[in-house]
Amino acid sequence: MPSYSFNVNNKPHTVDVDEDMPLLWVLRDILNLTGTKFGCGVASCGACTVLMNNQAVRSCQVQIQTCGNAKVTTIEGLSEDGSHPVQKAWEKMSVPQCGYCQSGQMMNVVGLLKAHPKPTNEQIENMMAGNLCRCGTYQRIKQAIHLVIEETAKG
Amino acid sequence: MQTSSINRRNFIKISSLAGGGLVLGFLLPGKGMAAPSESGDFLQPNAYLKIDKTGKITVFVGRQEIGQGVNTALPMIVAEELDADWKNVTAEILPYSTNPIPGYKPDGGGIYDTGGSQSIMTDYTELRRVGAAARLMLITAAANKWKVQPAQCITENGFVINTLTKARLPYSALVGDAAILPIPKDVVLKQPKDFKIIGKPAKKTNLKDILTGRAKYGIDVKVPGMVFASVERCPVLDGKLTSVDDSACKQVSGFIKTVTFESSGVPMHLHAGVAVIATTIWSAMKARKLLKITWDEGANNKQSTDDLFKTFAAKANDKPVKEVYKKGDVTNTAANTLELVFAEPFLAHGTIEPMNFIADVRPGFCELWGGLQLPDWTVQIISAEVGLKPEQIKTNLTLSGGGFGRRLHFDFALEAVRISKQIAKPVKVIWDRTDDVRNDVYRPASLHAMKASWDNNGKLQTWQHHKVQTSIEVMTEGPDTKSPPDMLGGAGSDLWYDIPNVYTGYTHVDFNLNRGWVRAVELCVNVFPVESFIDEIARKLNKDPLQYRLSLLEGRAAFETEGSKLHLDPQRVANALKLAAEKISYHEPRKKNHYIGVATHFFSFARSYAAHAVEIEMTGAKKFTIKKIVSTIDCGIIINLDGLMNQMEGGTVFALSQALMSEITVTNSRVDQDGFYTYQVARMPDIPPIEVYTIPSAEEPGGIGEASLPTLAPALCNALAAAGERPVRLPLSKDGWSWG
Ligand code: FES
Ligand code: FES
Repeated sequence: MPSYSFNVNNKPHTVDVDEDMPLLWVLRDILNLTGTKFGCGVASCGACTVLMNNQAVRSCQVQIQTCGNAKVTTIEGLSEDGSHPVQKAWEKMSVPQCGYCQSGQMMNVVGLLKAHPKPTNEQIENMMAGNLCRCGTYQRIKQAIHLVIEETAKG
Repeated sequence: MQTSSINRRNFIKISSLAGGGLVLGFLLPGKGMAAPSESGDFLQPNAYLKIDKTGKITVFVGRQEIGQGVNTALPMIVAEELDADWKNVTAEILPYSTNPIPGYKPDGGGIYDTGGSQSIMTDYTELRRVGAAARLMLITAAANKWKVQPAQCITENGFVINTLTKARLPYSALVGDAAILPIPKDVVLKQPKDFKIIGKPAKKTNLKDILTGRAKYGIDVKVPGMVFASVERCPVLDGKLTSVDDSACKQVSGFIKTVTFESSGVPMHLHAGVAVIATTIWSAMKARKLLKITWDEGANNKQSTDDLFKTFAAKANDKPVKEVYKKGDVTNTAANTLELVFAEPFLAHGTIEPMNFIADVRPGFCELWGGLQLPDWTVQIISAEVGLKPEQIKTNLTLSGGGFGRRLHFDFALEAVRISKQIAKPVKVIWDRTDDVRNDVYRPASLHAMKASWDNNGKLQTWQHHKVQTSIEVMTEGPDTKSPPDMLGGAGSDLWYDIPNVYTGYTHVDFNLNRGWVRAVELCVNVFPVESFIDEIARKLNKDPLQYRLSLLEGRAAFETEGSKLHLDPQRVANALKLAAEKISYHEPRKKNHYIGVATHFFSFARSYAAHAVEIEMTGAKKFTIKKIVSTIDCGIIINLDGLMNQMEGGTVFALSQALMSEITVTNSRVDQDGFYTYQVARMPDIPPIEVYTIPSAEEPGGIGEASLPTLAPALCNALAAAGERPVRLPLSKDGWSWG
């Protein structure tokens, strides 16, 4: 079996897995980082979103052989203790219900804000449209995103 | 397969009684029944509460957390009567036991049952007693220390205070002494006006875990020695496996073997399946694609929803097979009549966490891991399956990524058990999204023939409602089911409007598709035609639909419904509606092309009342934008205000998917949709501003988890009717409506 080395949450990892294994399952089943969730496997829900080289990607669509020496950040690596501005905004707005979609939502927002530090409402809606929340917390997610933007502007 | 004596219908009935106070005292065992801590390191007067010497308070939650917030609201109830410092309270899942609480063994449902939005309603008084008993023990321990009477001590925010000396002792310093005291039988509960925790907004007790990715759901559990399974199922419900060739699977690294299982009948219908076992789920999924299978689809493999709705339409003209409710005489129709037919599709649950389960079955041994809304029933059926007594099965309940009623069913658990049994190893079965959408227990499709008549003074005289649908109970209990048909939600004696002559009836039509309970179930299904039809009658009478509804509620006294014996107060129905109208500025002048629709209902599963008002702007032919949704709720005493708001918002969104775009269709007895691209659900751009308002009330608390679903679709459709065309079929996308 081929061996792949890459960086997850600032730590080097080497895994021996099939070349077509999606990053999602490498994270969850090989590296035990279960904060990244499986929701569909076909890019329809966003539950598996992580950052790859600072870009939000659906980890169910990324085969390990294409990762190269990418830097991957998962929810576990966003902060040690939930202190990342996005996590804090999520806490303040009490966003989650079941919580299952929320690591994907938050990682997508981190990626969104890296790409567009001051997104318009339309950009927010477009870029979040791929992240389903079946519990229906969209309104709180939107409010939390605006809170992050405000807080960041305050510095 | 044996038929269970437990079904959700009974469960709802029994627990409604429990809400009325008939099983008071079950949580608190008498003296000596709970094991006092020998070491005195902690105080645990019963299975639900533990206070340790560091002051940490753990409330064990005996209801399944599926996002609805029981892991916060139930601890709040205990903490309130305990006078705890909320900061010190944590929640844990109450370890499952087949008989955890001495003296509590209802025959209609299990202690862990989570459904019908009934957790708060059922547990409220008992959990208060749990908190109050522990508080009394702490007071007694402090009083003994100070050599004063307990009556001279009070509690506040985690301290016992000596009112004579003003001395204070934290609970943490008293647990050792309190733990050896007898557990009091009689406790005095607080007056609601003195509540400090109940009614305030609280954050989820596991919020930090969720935000950091540490929260463990069923799919995250790992068990030593565990293998994975992905299952190819027969596309037709009652089909059989003819042959399977798995030779190509062997080229996939990690592939172990395949095992097969047959379909099953009542109560949990499995599709026949071939399970591919592998060392990782990825290997299992990959190998599964290489299977060569032939199925015998059986005789019922040509059915379609198109034909089903034709059958529905034909049956709707006949007399209902089952009379449900009769008041007065509807055969004497008044001068003016109106008839309308409404249709609603099959719907899937679409929990974001796809079904998954771990089972470890070996000779004389069985252990289970996963999220279950009815674990007692699950364990009962699995015990028959594996030939063990229920108490020999160890069940580990986990968090769930959504429930919506999907996990009231346990077909996925039974599958895992059947697979593990054949390989004598722990196995985690994970469904992919296509499996999940194609093998769900669907909310039944239905058709509603509505008829009404009014006299020349405009007084409504007769109301008829004939519901034709594919029954749930026929699936869970078999064709001879004695359960009442799904007619709550204004389709039976619980119709909130005062109409002199009413007749409602029900006709079941068979269909080879699994069916089950989806969030708010028949309340959604029935409130849609009821609240649409009453609106249409008002329009035909040239009356304002809001005022017309209120006129049919005005002065109507509270009453008890037939059969289900629910207490229904039409004035609370009216109040929820009035508040929704006020908050959407119903009486203000409207902007051009803006229209408002309203709908209200009695949330009969858990004695609450809720309404919606929806404002739309028409932007073209059959094109609209939802400008605002107002959702109101009267659920009696509110426990967690923030949890309630989140549930009301989320329920509204869930119902919005159903109103706008979600639909399961069937061709050749197989589901056409295969995931979230084809089974569409609301995404962020679909969501308008949603405002939630509560009605203050001192009534005993009701439930809210499903209360905001039923009125959304009719309120939206009533707005569209106000704009000129009434939708009579859901989802709206089916008839060419578009939004944005
Ligand atoms: S699991 Fe990757 S998008 Fe759904
Ligand atoms: S919080 Fe449950 S799916 Fe988003």
